[in-house]
This record gives sequence, C-alpha cells and structure tokens, in this order.
Amino acid sequence: MTAHVAPQQIAAAKLQHHVIYVDDLAQSKDFYMKLFDLQFSALNHPDSSAAMRLSHQEMHFFSFGFYHHDICLVKHHKLKMDNGSMLHFSLVARDAAAFDGIRRRANEMGVPTREGRMIASAKTASGQRAFCVQDPNRHWVEIIEETQR
Amino acid sequence: MTAVAFVPPNVLPPPLQRFAGLLKRKWFRELVLAPPTISRRRFSNKTEDYGVFQPSLVQSIGQLSIYVRDIARSRAWYEALAGLTHSRTCEEEPHPFKPGWRIRCCYMSAPEHEECLVLVEERDPDGKLTIPSGMSFFHMAFELRGNRLEDVMAFADQAKRAGFSRNYGPVRHNGEPPLGDGETGGNVACYFYDPDYNNVEFCCAMDTIENYRGRYGATKGSARA
Repeated sequence: MTAHVAPQQIAAAKLQHHVIYVDDLAQSKDFYMKLFDLQFSALNHPDSSAAMRLSHQEMHFFSFGFYHHDICLVKHHKLKMDNGSMLHFSLVARDAAAFDGIRRRANEMGVPTREGRMIASAKTASGQRAFCVQDPNRHWVEIIEETQR
Repeated sequence: MTAVAFVPPNVLPPPLQRFAGLLKRKWFRELVLAPPTISRRRFSNKTEDYGVFQPSLVQSIGQLSIYVRDIARSRAWYEALAGLTHSRTCEEEPHPFKPGWRIRCCYMSAPEHEECLVLVEERDPDGKLTIPSGMSFFHMAFELRGNRLEDVMAFADQAKRAGFSRNYGPVRHNGEPPLGDGETGGNVACYFYDPDYNNVEFCCAMDTIENYRGRYGATKGSARA
C-alpha cells in the first residue's frame, strides 16, 4: 500500500486494550483473575451477541479498574489458537507492592517464570524490575514495575 | 519481502466485511440471534451485570510485540495510518525462548506511549522467516488522541481518503443507534488489517468504571439481579 496522510493527522495516543485468543476460557479466566486481580466486566457469547454468533467466538472482558476493558480473552469455537503471531505482551504493575504481589502469586501458583525483560533489546529504566510469566496458553506475559510515580 | 500470500483463517473475507455494517441494525441482530431466542438459550450481554469495584494489580498495558514478515512494510503502515513514530530498529538478537532462532525488532512509539509496539521479524535456525499465523490475538486497540466519538469518525474519514480500507466500523460497542452494534464497552471504534492481517482497532470514549458507579453506586451486579 502506498497510502500517505498529512502530518497533522489524527493519530493513536496509546495502546489501550488487547484481545488474546485462548483455548480454555475458564482456565485462562482463573489465571488472569488470580494472578492480577483483573475484574470481570462483561461476557459476549454466541447466545447473547450477534457479532459473536456470526464469528463463532466468545469473549470475556476484564478491567484493570478504570476502563470497561483492558484485556479480553477470546475463544474461537471453530479455529485453533496458537502462539504464531505474538511474541509477548507486557503489563505495568501499579506500584512496587503490586509487582511483588504478582511475583509472589506466580510462585504460589507454580506458573513458569523468567527474570528480566522478555526481549533483550527492550529498554529498561534505571532500577526498574521486570519478570515474565507464561499463561495457560503459552502466551508470554511480561510484568514491569511502574517507576514513574 | 516474502512472496508468500498467506491469509489467516480468522480474517473476514471482503464480501462479508461489506455486510458487517448490518450489525448496526437491530433487526439484523435480532435475526442472527433468532435461534437462541427461539430455543430460550438467549441471554443479554452482561455488561450491566458485572461491576468493577476495586483496582487490579495492573495499571496499564506496557508493550506488545507482534510477528511481521517485513519490518519496513509494517513500519510504513503504522506510521501512515496510526501516526506511530519509529523509535529504533535493532540488530538481530537471539530469540528469547526458541534456541537457535533469531529476531530483529523495530520499536514504534505513540505520543503518550513510548515503544508501545514492537514489530518482530523472526527467523528459524535455517534463516527462514516466520509467517504470522494470525491466531494468537484477535485484535489490539489504540486509543486515538482526543478520545471522543468525533475523533474516531474523523480518523475513519482520514484513513479512507488516504486509501486505507476498514474491515469494520465505525461502530459504537453498545446498543444505541445509529452506531451501536450490540456489543459491550461503549467504545467507538473502527478496525483495519495491517499488512500481515493483524487486526488493529482505533477507538475512543470507552465506558469507565466511574460510569458504573454513577449508575449503580456500590451495588454489585449479582445484587442487582
């Protein structure tokens, strides 16, 4: 595509939410709620939503506590999910105590983890801590400590 | 650039993209939902039934890395459509969890979100480039500057004039005409496929938890039911 827009274009301000495929909604929902305290905010199902019925999908919505949804888990009832289009995504912990809490819970849950940033070339702020967990569908989720406050 | 033309199985074919706008019509949604209505399996989307009353341990999404076939092509797309800016492209490095594999990363930034998106070329031990499957995530979503309904409408118009084709929207994810498609969240949104058929949403004006509190106070959904 050779599209071009003017410099004064309306542009994206920030990454706002992310919608990942999962194989087992109940298992993934349990994982994300237990590990991060994500709040279940909505359910769109083929028996409740025309879009979900047409696309053979079921979507569970989760909030970090401000927006209606920040992370959504989707089960495709006709297609199989895989790990072939995303390397990782990262979540910023609310503060140092939240970061420590997530790490403690991950250990208690026996979740596979690795220390540091997921990608070696990613920037790390001075003193910033990070580690990664693998969710039930082998998606890698990076947890970063908020250091701006 | 690879010559392989791969379309992920979850991509909406162009003819169906043209009909997707019918979801903004209540009669069409009712028609689609006729089977569960007749069999009494139908229930309402549950936005109004769940309340979010405490913050999670997470503040925001930090970064997302996606596989692409051609960094230059994808970078140009995200610059031209999303207005993202290029921060840096790194030399090849070892893949973080696939021994013998290599990756090359291009970091893209938004005005309020530094290096939010990483475009990743992945190569196996033989040097063969990965073709993204499209089946790890349904879509990613960027909030547009301004965060108002009008900003999404203007963005959709701007994109059309620049030659980009939407696969869906603009719609509002609630049941209110004329834009409502019966979904949940209240966000106004339009969707585009990037060069690797990653589905990218651009949205504004999503409902917030304060909206819930304004409507229901501290009463949880289960109590309201």
